[in-house]
Amino acid sequence: MNKKEYFPKKIFIEKDSLDYPLTRKIIKNTQGIPYEIIENSQDLIEEIKLSKDPGKEGKKYLLITKQKGEFVKPCPCTPNYIGCNYFIINLDINCPLDCSYCILQHYLSNPMITVHVNTKDLWDQLDTFLYRNRKHILRIGTGELGDSLVLDHITERSKDLIYYFRSRKNAIFELKTKTVNIKNILEIEPADNIVIAWSLNSNKIACEEEKNAPSVNDRIEAARKVEKKGYRVAFHFDPIIRYAGWEEGYSEVINELFGRINPLKIAWISLGSLRFPPDLKTIIKERFPETRIIYDEFIRGKDGKFRYFKAIRFQLYRKIVRLINRNGGGRVPLYFCMESSELWGKVLMIKPKGKEEVEKYLSLPFYKPKY
Amino acid sequence: MRKLKIPLNKINLEDERFRISYHSNLDKIILSLKKIGLVNPPIVTLREPHIILVSGWKRVLGYISLSFSQIPVYMLDEKNDLKTFKMSFYENLATRSYNTIEKAEVVGRLKKFGEDENSIIKKYFPLINIPSTRSHLDVYLAAFEFEPEIKKLVLEKNTAFVSLQLLTEFSSWERRILLPLLSCLSQNKIKEILEDILEICRKYNMPAWKFLLSRDIMDIKVAENLSSLQKADKIRLILKRKRYPTLFSWTKSFDSVLKKICWPEEISISPSKYFEGEEISVNFNFKNMEEFRKKLDELQKLSSKEEFSDMFKLDMDE
Repeated sequence: MNKKEYFPKKIFIEKDSLDYPLTRKIIKNTQGIPYEIIENSQDLIEEIKLSKDPGKEGKKYLLITKQKGEFVKPCPCTPNYIGCNYFIINLDINCPLDCSYCILQHYLSNPMITVHVNTKDLWDQLDTFLYRNRKHILRIGTGELGDSLVLDHITERSKDLIYYFRSRKNAIFELKTKTVNIKNILEIEPADNIVIAWSLNSNKIACEEEKNAPSVNDRIEAARKVEKKGYRVAFHFDPIIRYAGWEEGYSEVINELFGRINPLKIAWISLGSLRFPPDLKTIIKERFPETRIIYDEFIRGKDGKFRYFKAIRFQLYRKIVRLINRNGGGRVPLYFCMESSELWGKVLMIKPKGKEEVEKYLSLPFYKPKY
Repeated sequence: MRKLKIPLNKINLEDERFRISYHSNLDKIILSLKKIGLVNPPIVTLREPHIILVSGWKRVLGYISLSFSQIPVYMLDEKNDLKTFKMSFYENLATRSYNTIEKAEVVGRLKKFGEDENSIIKKYFPLINIPSTRSHLDVYLAAFEFEPEIKKLVLEKNTAFVSLQLLTEFSSWERRILLPLLSCLSQNKIKEILEDILEICRKYNMPAWKFLLSRDIMDIKVAENLSSLQKADKIRLILKRKRYPTLFSWTKSFDSVLKKICWPEEISISPSKYFEGEEISVNFNFKNMEEFRKKLDELQKLSSKEEFSDMFKLDMDE
């Protein structure tokens, strides 16, 4: 998928998901790819789970189904660390990229790339959700259980979502990706409350641990095009990973980023160091036997997940924050994803009392004249 | 299946193709045979030119211990090994649950006799309480090939699945080097030590045998003045220092502050787990107001020492 777009080997359509506009659009956009109509997906999922590498096998297939539960949920974050009051839209689940550290390998019980086609229900649920929270400025996005843009050439969802959110002024909507799938984004007019974000890492980590993902340079170039179109952009250095030479590695990317992107158009940059639940470690060991990233000095954090020992996290963050500041990003709002208030204070010099304060800190610049 | 009585020496016990239980204690079966005799005869079958045992190893060994010369058996006329093994499997399944090594033997033999892997996962795993995943199959198949002494260790220590999985990541030779070290440890410490060794080796790209034969470890292994447990504890400490160097150094700095200010033993003090929180907790007991005040005075004096504040500024750059 480095330059190529993702296409599944086969599409499975649940019978009751057939008669939806999005299903028809997907069939139109995947001409030549065989599809099969199935009663339900459970047997198929069980069959894939029996394969040698269900994670890899599942990515070959696209499942078209309906979201039976809620589309919009609060981001689960992690207990005992500071969150950011983010809301997630569970639209397309799972991701054809194959990052070794990806939490979805552990989190999802269905290994297939899954698209929920009952979009009308989504708009209804969003209307209710935004109305109920009309007195708050909400940050909301689609990139938690899958990459926001990796299927965009098939689903064209980005257009619908941007059209929907541009008039919802109490929402800041974020599409989060590692891809360069920006064709649809560039075809529509930007809006102030729309943020297109990229996950970034050092070139070495991107190359060795983010299988099928475009290079970091390509991602930054895509961000540049989107920024030139007039969108706000954002970046997520997450997971930051320590390795011999990490300082140079991250320095290179940050130089590149600020060399090409106007810092005033950056809505935020988030930082998070590598963390993983114990069960994910077992999966990573099995699926990526060549990786070394899980063998560094990890302790069990207050949430039960493995994370770098505090002093190591401090060193990683301090260096990256200094690099951002030195490269002209001093006024870009920085925040931590799932970090302790101690490190917020020691590195970012702010000690938010809770997630609401983080939310306010990140959304306030949207409603102040900035440039 | 025919019931008949055969001389015990006609059974070829060297052919263990259907055997799944080893290292069994025969005391109870001998007592049972003495008290009520053989209620349920073992199953045997003919594999020319021998009669071999399908199920009932403990019963046969008990009979031998009691010096009987003949034994009642069921003779099974099935020639196919897979079908024969299934008889043994279901017979045992009806009466007891399988231990970890027996599960490995079942899985390994099913595979060896030609059962399809997916069918083992789907059909047999639920019957013997193994999660139906491919990775469980891989671990049990690897454990099936373990050396007899390692199988014995797994059985004796009632080793958890996760340790079994860790053991599969070592070569046969490495497992043999590890054996004396693991033999004196509890289940949890076995897991901890295996995990630490593997992760240190992965981190530094070193084969486990090289680490296990390194000078640090060998000096301890050959020390004549140390018991097995003391050796294991010393090795665990080396592993912790290599695996968690920063945490180790923070713990050392914290302890050295306590030493400098002569922190009293009767007042316990500890940082948060792995120093992850900012809090430090102090704990002491007292019987009356006088003792309580005395301890507070003592704490007051300690806190006025210059080095006391060092405890709050452990070096993030270390």
